[in-house]
Amino acid sequence: MAVRSIGEYKFPSRSRQELYGDDQLVHLWWKGNLWFCAAACFRAPKAMSWNDFVAGMVNPLFSCDPDFDAATTTFTWTVDDKPVSPAGDESLEALGVGHKSLITCVAA
Amino acid sequence: MAAPRKLSMKQRYAALTRDLDWDLSYVDEDKAYPYTSFEGIKIHDWSKWEDPFRLTIDAYMKYQAEKDKRLYAVLDSFAQGQGHLQLTDPSYLNAMKLFLQGVTPLEYQAHRNFAYLARFLNGPGPRFAALCQSQDELRHAQTEIHTLSNYNKYYQGMHSWQHQHDRVWYLSVPKSYFDDAVTAGPFEFLIAIGFSFEYLLTNLLFVPFMSGASFNGDLPTMTFGFSAQSDESRHMTLGLEAIKFMLEQDPDNVPIVQAWIDKWFWRGYRLLALVSQMLDYMLPRKVMSWKEAFELYFEEQMLGGLFPDLAYYGIKPPRHVEHAIAEKEILSHQVYWTLYQFSFAAGFTTTVPSEDAQKWLAEQYPQTFERLYKPLWDKASAVVDDGGRYFYQGLPQLCQVCQVPMLFTEPGDPTTICQRHTEFEGERYDFCSDGCQWIFEREPEKYVQAWLPVHQIYQGNCGGPTVPDVLAWYKLQPGDNGEIAGNVEQTAWEAWHATSSAEEQAPAPVAGN
Amino acid sequence: MTQSTGPTPTRVRQVGVDIQETEENRAVVEAVEADNEDCTVRHMPGLVRITSPTRIVVNRESVEQRLGREWETHEFQLAIVSYFGHIAEWDDDQILIQWDH
Repeated sequence: MAVRSIGEYKFPSRSRQELYGDDQLVHLWWKGNLWFCAAACFRAPKAMSWNDFVAGMVNPLFSCDPDFDAATTTFTWTVDDKPVSPAGDESLEALGVGHKSLITCVAA
Repeated sequence: MAAPRKLSMKQRYAALTRDLDWDLSYVDEDKAYPYTSFEGIKIHDWSKWEDPFRLTIDAYMKYQAEKDKRLYAVLDSFAQGQGHLQLTDPSYLNAMKLFLQGVTPLEYQAHRNFAYLARFLNGPGPRFAALCQSQDELRHAQTEIHTLSNYNKYYQGMHSWQHQHDRVWYLSVPKSYFDDAVTAGPFEFLIAIGFSFEYLLTNLLFVPFMSGASFNGDLPTMTFGFSAQSDESRHMTLGLEAIKFMLEQDPDNVPIVQAWIDKWFWRGYRLLALVSQMLDYMLPRKVMSWKEAFELYFEEQMLGGLFPDLAYYGIKPPRHVEHAIAEKEILSHQVYWTLYQFSFAAGFTTTVPSEDAQKWLAEQYPQTFERLYKPLWDKASAVVDDGGRYFYQGLPQLCQVCQVPMLFTEPGDPTTICQRHTEFEGERYDFCSDGCQWIFEREPEKYVQAWLPVHQIYQGNCGGPTVPDVLAWYKLQPGDNGEIAGNVEQTAWEAWHATSSAEEQAPAPVAGN
Repeated sequence: MTQSTGPTPTRVRQVGVDIQETEENRAVVEAVEADNEDCTVRHMPGLVRITSPTRIVVNRESVEQRLGREWETHEFQLAIVSYFGHIAEWDDDQILIQWDH
């Protein structure tokens, strides 16, 4: 259903990808861990490698959980509900991560 | 000759409100009132609008003046009697900071839009009722600011509320709610604010705040609250009359009104998530739990009382209400847990609930607190014992519609965050619940414009890329945010109560600007 | 969708009014209690809540008797904090709160 309005009602998205240049918004969700009240939102380059993403974004966030240990905690991953096995130098884009994608992990 | 008789209330109302109207002769009605047809609502006879209060301008002014006199007498005695020292605990004021930052600007918004209705509704009855409400809302904004300014002299977090309303992440929740309402047509606004906010949900907002103030030694807030609330009864009546009027005017209005009730119940309910944690966590001395308030003010009064009345017109209880009912056991805990970890960027402070407070929570929520939330608080306490304090190192995913961080869980599963998304014109949008997703899909063109604080920070529109940049842009001052324990406000409070010397109490050591 | 009838499905359909707890309002509350046999009065912080399974009537004369002065029904605006039900009548002599349907 369209908005009922007094004139034409058409506006661009205020979070469209082009507003972030070569970057995009990426959501990161540690499923089943309520220590984190909600999934996180990051601005990350599309070409960012998985290793850089883990080192620069995942680990600093997850380290606020005293039970997390970057060296020993292992996860299974999905991107928008599709299982993925990310390799170290693969880019987020190559992994299928798009603008506002949801990267989900479950502790193994 | 008999002496002229005093007019009855009915006659006075007819003479002063209705009879002063006139029929337009040199301009078409739809030119004079151009906004009352595009929403599809059909009105055949504007004179059928009822105002049970039968208010006339002279009576209105007389009683409003009396209400103000009573309030200002209390404010004077508060200032003269060092009232700021009478609170149960300075952390109580977190509830008032949230109120001032989140609700007071809404009163002003309401003032503006009811002024618009007072000009653009076709009938003199509803125009006059809207005019009174417009004036009331302005009075509420002014008296709230005036009342709380007495605390601003001594406490943190109350100096830049208006500025913060437009900028700070959690305040985009109430702001966007009202933006949504004032950009709708006049009839939808009447359902959104007049009915849903003022009738369906107002008691859940105001009465707990005011009883909380009464229970926590905050006399002036209690007084302004009850003063405002006495107007609120009139606003409730306007909301209820508005919905009955629309439903009675034409059967084609029923499905339109139903969809608005569905939308604005859920919008309002999500907004009240902020109130739920206030009742259960922010008040040092508890009044009633969110669960109890929800059962009393919503389930009993609205679902049990109002909706059977509206069923006469074919109106059903709001869509997704079953999710709200199921959430009453978990809502406040999830929300405060979120505020706890994000209060580094808030205009209020948070802390791990005390042992007594946790005991109370366990009693109020026997099904959920000890099983789901106590373990989290124990873990947060252990972090504190180790000399730390848990703050979320990042920014949260936000719901595109309600703008609350996506903290809510799947219906029936309180351990899994609820994730919903919809693709619209090639872009993905995320939602916290079926309710918010449904609202988006009804009017996607409206919600794609949402000013989501997290996205705006990432676009560089909020002062800079780092957290300190953003906090400076929010105008947060040291002591406004973060942890309660050891905060300047707490330290000052202890100093005031430790000394009995009037000279030492006189200055305001933590005054804002 | 699930239709809810509240926590207890057999609940009576109440109407109610919340009144600010003040010296003057005590007369109003007493008048309401006297004129509404089936009403229940509950004291909450700062306010008095009156509920009834049928309807609530506020009579000007009853209030005036207890207050010992003239009282116009408009003054009830200074007392009322909230209500639920429908204001079915509000004239010079009486205020009536009940559900319509």
